[in-house]
Amino acid sequence: MAEATYLEAIRQGLWEEMESDPSVFCIGEDIGIYGGAFKVTDGFVHHFGPQRVIDTPIAESAIVGAAFGAALTGLRPVAEFQFMDFIGCAFNQIVNMVAKSHYRWGAPAPLVLRGPAGGGVHGGPFHSQNPEMYFVHTPGMKVVAPATPSDAKGLIKSAIRDNNPVLFLEHKFLYRRIKEDVPENGHVVPIGKARMHREGRDLSIITYAAMVHTAQEAADILAKEGIEVEILDLRTLSPLDREAIAQTVKKTNKVILLHEDTRTGGLAGEIAAIINEEAFDDLDGPIVRITSLDTPVPFSPPLEHYFLPKVEDVVREARKLHSY
Amino acid sequence: MATKSKPAKSSGKKTQQAAATANGRNGAAAKKSASSPQSASATKAPAIQLNQYGIPDWRLEQPEFEVIEVTAGREVHYEIRGKLDTAVPPIRPSKYLSPDQHVELYRWMVMNRRMEVALENLYKQSKVVGGVYFGLGQEACSCASAYALGPDDWFAPMIRNQGAQLVRGFHARDIMMQYMAKSGSPTHGKDGTSHYGDIEKRHMVSPISMLGDLLPVMAGVSLGARLQGKELACLTWIGDGGQSTGVSYEGINFAAVRKLGLVLIVESNLWAYSTPTEYQVGVKDLANRAVGYGMPGVIIDGTDACQVYDATYEAVQRAHRGEGPTLIEAKLMRMKGHAIHDAAAYVPKEMHEFWRKRDCIDRFEKYLLEKKWLTPEQNQKLIDEVEKELDADREFAVNSPMPEPHTAAEGVFCDGCHNIKPKYGMPKKARGEGKLKASEAAIHFK
Repeated sequence: MAEATYLEAIRQGLWEEMESDPSVFCIGEDIGIYGGAFKVTDGFVHHFGPQRVIDTPIAESAIVGAAFGAALTGLRPVAEFQFMDFIGCAFNQIVNMVAKSHYRWGAPAPLVLRGPAGGGVHGGPFHSQNPEMYFVHTPGMKVVAPATPSDAKGLIKSAIRDNNPVLFLEHKFLYRRIKEDVPENGHVVPIGKARMHREGRDLSIITYAAMVHTAQEAADILAKEGIEVEILDLRTLSPLDREAIAQTVKKTNKVILLHEDTRTGGLAGEIAAIINEEAFDDLDGPIVRITSLDTPVPFSPPLEHYFLPKVEDVVREARKLHSY
Repeated sequence: MATKSKPAKSSGKKTQQAAATANGRNGAAAKKSASSPQSASATKAPAIQLNQYGIPDWRLEQPEFEVIEVTAGREVHYEIRGKLDTAVPPIRPSKYLSPDQHVELYRWMVMNRRMEVALENLYKQSKVVGGVYFGLGQEACSCASAYALGPDDWFAPMIRNQGAQLVRGFHARDIMMQYMAKSGSPTHGKDGTSHYGDIEKRHMVSPISMLGDLLPVMAGVSLGARLQGKELACLTWIGDGGQSTGVSYEGINFAAVRKLGLVLIVESNLWAYSTPTEYQVGVKDLANRAVGYGMPGVIIDGTDACQVYDATYEAVQRAHRGEGPTLIEAKLMRMKGHAIHDAAAYVPKEMHEFWRKRDCIDRFEKYLLEKKWLTPEQNQKLIDEVEKELDADREFAVNSPMPEPHTAAEGVFCDGCHNIKPKYGMPKKARGEGKLKASEAAIHFK
């Protein structure tokens, strides 16, 4: 075990998979000599060679299409989006070509689409988005959004080994802000399993990615008031861990759904529906949603701060729900 | 006299080679194009002209007409202006096909056309679910190109390239069952028409309805094989309409940059659904775009099976040598509507008549009979055998069951049903013993 940032943990996972399985290769914009806009593949091209760390033209559909084509020959491509916002440029290729291929004609698509998502870094409307719901809504796609370095490492490895297309959302706010001891080689985190981030008895916060840390801060404040908050980190957004969601609701009977993505059509709505289906009788209060506003991600710091869910929002809503 | 290496000698190729040498990115493409395959037979063929952009034009006739939109009173329609009474051109003798191969290729074209007649009949008997798409007039383009592939090569047909599927080992019953949404169809009823594939044996990538998306995918197949030490030709087709999409540009450009084995046939079939080429693109010859991509381009008569075969064959050899993609523009006309519901009333009658006289199968048949590579008796026997095979396939398809409803819920994910491993060999491992070093470099956003 050695301490690593969220960014280093992803690098380690990717490196280890490329070392152990030569059928894994990386493809994307500026990932070779430059090492990527966020340096995830820094130094990779020198070690693995330009055949396995491939710089492409600025053409997201070509990146995904080429990755899919290579996957059809039995390889496991890892395609980088410089910013996840640009995934919109490859939407058709992902949704219609890749995600449907196994269902339609029995061709598996073992590719990883990875890159930085999320706000809080004043990136503005085109460098801060959370595009998960387009793909959670797409049958055939798996969607992963780790919150910790260990999970980031373990999940990138699982994503690469998976026989299906996996969208791997790295939260850019977390890249160098969080650190922890990360296991060495052999550490794998299964896709589809949520993680109990913090045990509590009074109410549950179901969340993922950077908001796990917002929930954590809020829980620390609430603990001092005697409110014991449980935090469930989903880690995988599709397929959702329905069992873990039902379990925490059955335990605390009160639930807050928290995400950085915008509100309407966000994952919270889907989780609320699952709770209705799996644990309606266990609820002792209304299901509460805390999300970003239904606007594009604004650029100016005071605007972005207003847009994003904050610790004080969580504390306020938790107090209210606790006293319900 | 023009030779088969003509398209490879376009200025586009020189540019590309220079670029590849400068940045050293061309992977296995390091080999020089020293090989100069020689003609199989010394049949005399007319010289090949270069157009104003230096693109070789193999055609023996350059039709001179254009379609324009005309407003007459309260009605808007298309008219054709130009020379329509020119003589039908001969077949350009193939440099590579043996007499037997000519006949085999002709048989595929006959099978292609007659299978589509069978599909039309099945539709009229209400046995088809949805519509039927035809490649009438495009059989040479579908069959002769697929016929030029090597055994390991990949292909990805568009909706009008059903002949290519036959040539590459699928049966008419597969296609019939696709149209009838049967359980035994290649997609087990999950999708219809030509929307199926096979990555195990026949190396066919399934098309999707959105046009152009196959181009980067086929470039990627070539890339994936190259990583495994194999240079493949990856053949796909696109229409004059389909190439308008942005992803077409992305895919072709990527193939050109990486000198991948994409063999792209642009079927300029003059109608994109109901929109004539003149209202689809600003250039007269789509092959001219090869210059902009930095790759060789060639113009052929898409109704001449020999031209289709030879041009594809050369592009395939080029791909096998790791020298990069080729753009072949095949000029022809789609002789039916977009799909069976479309009577193509928007097509000027004289235009249809012009191309009907240039029918690819009629001309090829006549050519083979004249050459005495096929006797009238052999021809009749061939046709009878094709019909017999189609009858048997139709019986099989009609009598096969529909899928079990519950299978609709199956197969979204691969849950270990496939054992995924590199098809051609493991890519080379890491070069050194180096370890991952932590990166402290500045990043785009803190």
